[in-house]
Amino acid sequence: MAVNDTDQSNRPHRDRQSGAKSAKKKSKKKQKQDAGGEDHKNQNPKAFAFSSSNKAKRLQSRAVEKEQRRLHAPIIDRSYGEPAPYVVVVQGPPQVGKSLLIKSLVKHYTKHNLPDVRGPITIVSGKQRRVQFVECPNDINGMIDAAKFADLALLLIDGSYGFEMETFEFLNILQVHGFPKVMGVLTHLDKFKDVKKLRKTKQRLKHRFWTEIYDGAKLFYLSGLIHGKYVKREVHNLARFISVMKFHPLSWRTTHPYVLADRFEDITPPEKVHANNKCDRKVTLYGYLRGCNLKKGNKVHIAGVGDYSLTGITVLPDPCPLPSAAKKKGLRDKEKLFYAPMSGLGDLLYDKDAVYININDHLVQFSNVDNENSAMTSKGKDRDVGEVLVKSLQNTKYSINEKLENSFISLFSEKPKVSSEALADAHGTNNDVEQNDAVIIGEDNNTKDLDGSESSDQDEEGTMKDSEASGSDEEDSPNSNALSGDHIQEHIEFHDGRRRRRAIFGNDNDQSDLMDSEGDEDGAASDDLASSDSESSEDEEDHNDNDDTNEDGMGNVSKWKESLAERTLSRKTPSLMQIVYGESTIDSITTDTENGNSGDEESDDDFFKPIEEVKKQNIRDGLNDDGVVNTEDCSKCTQFVHQRWDEEMIRNRFVSGNLAKAALRNALQTANTEEENDDVYGDFEDLETGEKHENYQTDDALAATKLKEDVSEAEERRLKKIALHAKFTVTTIYCYLNFLFTFDGDSGSAEEDSGKENGHKVHRGQPNESTYFDKLKEEIELQKQRNIAELNDLDEDTRLEIEGFRTGTYLRLEVNDVPCEMVEYFDPYHPILIGGVGIGEDNVGYMQTRLKRHRWHKKVLKTRDPIIVSVGWRRYQTTPVYAIEDSNGRHRMLKYTPEHMHCLAMFWGPLAPPNTGVVAVQNLSNNQATFRITATAVVLEFNHAARIVKKIKLVGYPCKIFKKTALIKDMFTSDLEVARFEGAAIRTVSGIRGQVKKVAKVEIGNQAQRKGGQIKEGIARCTFEDKILMSDIVFLRAWTQVEVPQFYNPLTTALQPRERTWKGMRTVAELRRENNLPVPVNKDSLYKKIERKPRKFNPLVIPKSLQASLPFASKPKDIPKRKKPLLEERRGRGVVMEPRERKVHALVQHLQLINSEKMKKRKLKEDKKRKELEAERAKDEQLSRKRRREERRVKYRAQDKQNKKIRRTEV
Amino acid sequence: MGKTAYKKLLGSQSFRQRLLLATLSSTPILIEDIRADETWPGLRNHEISLLRLFETVCDDCHVEINETGTKLKYKPGTIIGGRQHRAHDCGVSRSIGYFLEPLIVLCLFAKQPLTIRLKGITNDSKDPSVDTFKSTALPLLKRFGVPSEGLELKVESRGLPPNGGGEVLLSVPVVQSLTAVSWIDEGFVKKIRGITFSTRVSVQFENSMIKATRGIINPLVSDVHIFSDHRSGPQAGNSPGYGISLVAETTSGCFISADTAVSHSRDEDASSLADDAKRDLMPPEDVGVGTANALLGEIAQSGVVDSTHQGLLFLLCALCPQDVSKVRVGKLSPHGVETLRNIRDFLNLKFIIKPEPNSQSVFLKCIGYGMKNLSRKVS
Repeated sequence: MAVNDTDQSNRPHRDRQSGAKSAKKKSKKKQKQDAGGEDHKNQNPKAFAFSSSNKAKRLQSRAVEKEQRRLHAPIIDRSYGEPAPYVVVVQGPPQVGKSLLIKSLVKHYTKHNLPDVRGPITIVSGKQRRVQFVECPNDINGMIDAAKFADLALLLIDGSYGFEMETFEFLNILQVHGFPKVMGVLTHLDKFKDVKKLRKTKQRLKHRFWTEIYDGAKLFYLSGLIHGKYVKREVHNLARFISVMKFHPLSWRTTHPYVLADRFEDITPPEKVHANNKCDRKVTLYGYLRGCNLKKGNKVHIAGVGDYSLTGITVLPDPCPLPSAAKKKGLRDKEKLFYAPMSGLGDLLYDKDAVYININDHLVQFSNVDNENSAMTSKGKDRDVGEVLVKSLQNTKYSINEKLENSFISLFSEKPKVSSEALADAHGTNNDVEQNDAVIIGEDNNTKDLDGSESSDQDEEGTMKDSEASGSDEEDSPNSNALSGDHIQEHIEFHDGRRRRRAIFGNDNDQSDLMDSEGDEDGAASDDLASSDSESSEDEEDHNDNDDTNEDGMGNVSKWKESLAERTLSRKTPSLMQIVYGESTIDSITTDTENGNSGDEESDDDFFKPIEEVKKQNIRDGLNDDGVVNTEDCSKCTQFVHQRWDEEMIRNRFVSGNLAKAALRNALQTANTEEENDDVYGDFEDLETGEKHENYQTDDALAATKLKEDVSEAEERRLKKIALHAKFTVTTIYCYLNFLFTFDGDSGSAEEDSGKENGHKVHRGQPNESTYFDKLKEEIELQKQRNIAELNDLDEDTRLEIEGFRTGTYLRLEVNDVPCEMVEYFDPYHPILIGGVGIGEDNVGYMQTRLKRHRWHKKVLKTRDPIIVSVGWRRYQTTPVYAIEDSNGRHRMLKYTPEHMHCLAMFWGPLAPPNTGVVAVQNLSNNQATFRITATAVVLEFNHAARIVKKIKLVGYPCKIFKKTALIKDMFTSDLEVARFEGAAIRTVSGIRGQVKKVAKVEIGNQAQRKGGQIKEGIARCTFEDKILMSDIVFLRAWTQVEVPQFYNPLTTALQPRERTWKGMRTVAELRRENNLPVPVNKDSLYKKIERKPRKFNPLVIPKSLQASLPFASKPKDIPKRKKPLLEERRGRGVVMEPRERKVHALVQHLQLINSEKMKKRKLKEDKKRKELEAERAKDEQLSRKRRREERRVKYRAQDKQNKKIRRTEV
Repeated sequence: MGKTAYKKLLGSQSFRQRLLLATLSSTPILIEDIRADETWPGLRNHEISLLRLFETVCDDCHVEINETGTKLKYKPGTIIGGRQHRAHDCGVSRSIGYFLEPLIVLCLFAKQPLTIRLKGITNDSKDPSVDTFKSTALPLLKRFGVPSEGLELKVESRGLPPNGGGEVLLSVPVVQSLTAVSWIDEGFVKKIRGITFSTRVSVQFENSMIKATRGIINPLVSDVHIFSDHRSGPQAGNSPGYGISLVAETTSGCFISADTAVSHSRDEDASSLADDAKRDLMPPEDVGVGTANALLGEIAQSGVVDSTHQGLLFLLCALCPQDVSKVRVGKLSPHGVETLRNIRDFLNLKFIIKPEPNSQSVFLKCIGYGMKNLSRKVS
């Protein structure tokens, strides 16, 4: 590094740590501290009291307002299970250190070095918390998807460079899709040489970050790298921040289930793929369920692929359980703290029917070499049981098929051993048939497999199935864990270049077999290893094969299991439910695409069959017979009863009756006591019906009602208590609500003292009673507790049926008919988001949104130019029509979006519920320099018709004018059109208003026809408020509907190589640019110089007949022309004076001047005189006024004296 | 878009609920074999009228019926509601109650509050009368969080079979979503209200009905008020008849009703009967006694609603947000069971049904569908 003068760092100033100066400073500081804050207030409280009541009122109202603004409408949280791992999305521009950050965090949590960050990485970060790290891809599609599932977004910013567009784009996307928590992380801070510069930069970036989010948003600084990793301490701090982060629910996500797939498998049958490489695939996706409960039959949207219905959903055991929930399964806890199948991290892989164990190569110590000196080691210390088992598994020689054939199972200890085949022959049970099936499949595998070297491998596959089938009895029972078997088999495969061992748990029988044959079989395993090593690439496919076949095998088994499960279910559910939801109606309803042909065929069949037979068949098929199918639709079924009701029977249902018994009945029901009690009581009552007993009864009644009330109240109280408790936990979470609850009278929690002052400050003068907000909150909490209580009552199957899969469970989703490109272009760097489609959201229609062009986007948007919108889970391209609402509610089309204003945008697409955020982009490519977000919007409503209009002006010309009626041509093209516009208002250019009346009669208007030409259509008779001129132009102003194109194109970015930009519909401008076409110019639209000829008016000609009838005065006179010109005409030439005349004229002028001067002087003099006079007069006036006042005073005094005298005399 | 996937259904059973649920869940349906084997095959007048009613309150819904009327294709649109200026003629084959039941639920989820005038038969013996609707169904709706302002049913004139001529004005507000209920306490009957009516007959009929009813009920509860509503002139519709509607209110706010109406039967029904049957109506005393006994029967079943309103109750429970609703009814009525099945078919929602042998009542539990009013505009 060259030494640079500018870069030279001076020795920094160091503060004095001791001495007089520092003491002075310290004391000053202390003083300052004392002066500020509450101490100061306490010293002189009066100084801080309100001096004006108005001000006090204002401040109070402001405080209340502020407080109200802080309140959020409480949302019920319907996730009852343990929460799914929180998703931490790490986002930033390329080369900013995203992967490194994840690696550092993973290292911090798990002490493992992560070679590569691919896909979501689940990590247990605390006793109660798991997090899932996802790296956000660098393209805009990936960013949009990531924003939809992020619970916390870590925005990485290159401190040495500053903010980049990606950060702001991502922030905008986040904002639209419900703004999860955001934390900024500054990296590359070691590039700064200058500390001051670094500090300044930090400050600057922090403030810019704050303006974007909120003041005080957390921005984290990672100072630099040590050994290629971030500083341990800083990573630790960051991890602390992440682990204490609170997440609030986002409205879209709490109403839609979604799964972020952390594992993806293609399970298409391989023969199908072989036959046609491009065939539709069957895939499974694994991930935690988030958002809300997922029901069976719910449709899903796979981002970038499309809408699919799930063919299968299975709950899998949590691969990364919380430490509290985890059962000890032999693996050390340290290793279990993470799960990332796509990154090759994590030890256990769960499937629907099997568990895979991943063991990294360097960890695998078991080998045959090891086996040889095992004797020595075994002497030294006891070998692990698992180790022994695994070793035993390595040494299998015979396939299990063979072994089973040879083996004997002792059913009873005394009985002779029975071979499995014999057993199968003897008992034709379901179980055995299944087993045979499984065996056959296993054999199929063998036959199919062409590669001889791997036959043993396949054999094992088959054997495993066998063992599972035989061990399935235990698996079926709900309590028995699939993993509880004490014997493990292993299946080694190479997948993505790493060893993967499949563990299957069999029962003791197999174990004994295997133990027997342990000694002889060394070769098989080694063979296995060798072959798999050599052909890792082929094995990839083979692995799939195995999976598939396994799937098939298990498919049978699972089906069979299902039926069993159903049976158990039906046994469990009460009979009434069975009656209501019996099988009778299930079959009659089938969802089917409308197909005319099949329907016809069916009807034909029916036609040629006797009706009895059809009915019988229907009954056989489980269909309802016609009698049921066509029952009358009537809700009333009360029979008219003529028998009198036994009063005693019903009396207790009335307030006048015996409340005791009635109450008892309820009480019994709620308290869940035995029936006997009631019976006894009933008998008792029957026997005794005396007066005395009445008394007793009433007492009893009271007691019983009390009991009942007590029970119900107790229940209510219990729920309330739970609710209150939960509320407090909520308060700790939402600290911004702290003061509200701590100020409740009954709150006695620990936060009281801390919250009280706070509360005092905010709630000055507020009564102690609970607010509306509290009530709302309490209600919601109560409902939640009730839900939990009710749901906990149910058994698992019923709960699943009515509630669906709970959030936080690890699911395996099976999807059929996925395009092969999804598998082909699958990229673990791009996480797959599977979002549940809500009610009616798969329908298509027009959506009206309130849209605003982003202020950083350079251009305005043009109507009908395609944009790519992201709404809900979906991304699609559509062509919006922009509009604005006029004051009368009309939606007027706009050609372009306004510059700085919201406008309406109407577009066609899959519907999203109102209030959903929309973000629009136009360009998806990565190499764009400018800001890619073009607009943000929110859905207002959706319609099945777009009602946008634009102005239209019809122009016509009069062809004949009567008095106030005129025939207008060229305005309409046909008579039909005229009929459409009857009564419409029209106007001429000169402002004469009128109305369209009717189509003109042919003979009047059509001069053309009179001349023998074509009849001209579309001439309208119109009336005006005045006579119009032939030169007038007539306008009709109307509104016409604008079509919104019914176009939407889902973005299938997952079905193409990720690095390629998705290409959709192009804008007209783009097309023109590409094809080098000029912008078409309408000649009429160009501005031209307006030429106006001077108007020539013809002389007024009065008709002869009219002239004749006029009075003489008005008649135009026929005046003969004069011979001699008039004086004026002659004078027109100008006058020239004679010299004498000129002299006279001058003299007169002089005289006049003198005179005027004299007059002026006189006027001035008079003015002066008048002013003097006026001044004198004013003086006099003043004097006289003074005098008068004096006189008046004397007079009044006298008068007053007189008055007083009179009064005195009167008194 | 490609082809629409229609849900295939058979027969004319629970036609109203199928239409209603199809519209609410926006599922296109295809109903086949509608009375295919009957002498008069196909859709009846009231069903056609119902379809027309759905078309008026919805936007862009698509109805296709084949020539014989045995096959119906229905593709729902958005529910608009709004103020309907033109009265809807319900015809005389079924009473207005038939139309009210689906309409009232449907229009809760409309874009704008509905106001509509329905013409036809206000009271008959087959469907719940408009009086019962007013006294029982509307409070039931309120229980589920429907605001009481804007929820109104006004009987402008009465009409009885066979000729009808009645008219009611219905207004239904819109809701964002309903609220789940936990409604298992049926309470004790504290008061009984009722209304009798007579059209084109003497007022004496009402008096004797009231007397007979009181004779049964008075020994059980003292707070009994039965109002009479005698109509004459144009308000009395086109045919004579009389009837009664009784409602029992319990201490926990449940309304249990029973009603009936007596009039000359419709032509189609009466074709087989002799003339004298047409002439004589059931005596009013018998009507009173019968209805009172029916009411007692409903009360004895100890549900929170009567058997007529079970369907409505289940529907509302199913349309709640995703919270647990718990209700208690007496014996499950066939209509209730039918409703449960339809809810399962359309909304993929099952109820937990638990019988309670002590009181012979049934407890039902469900988690709501999470229905939200999506068509309502946000400002």
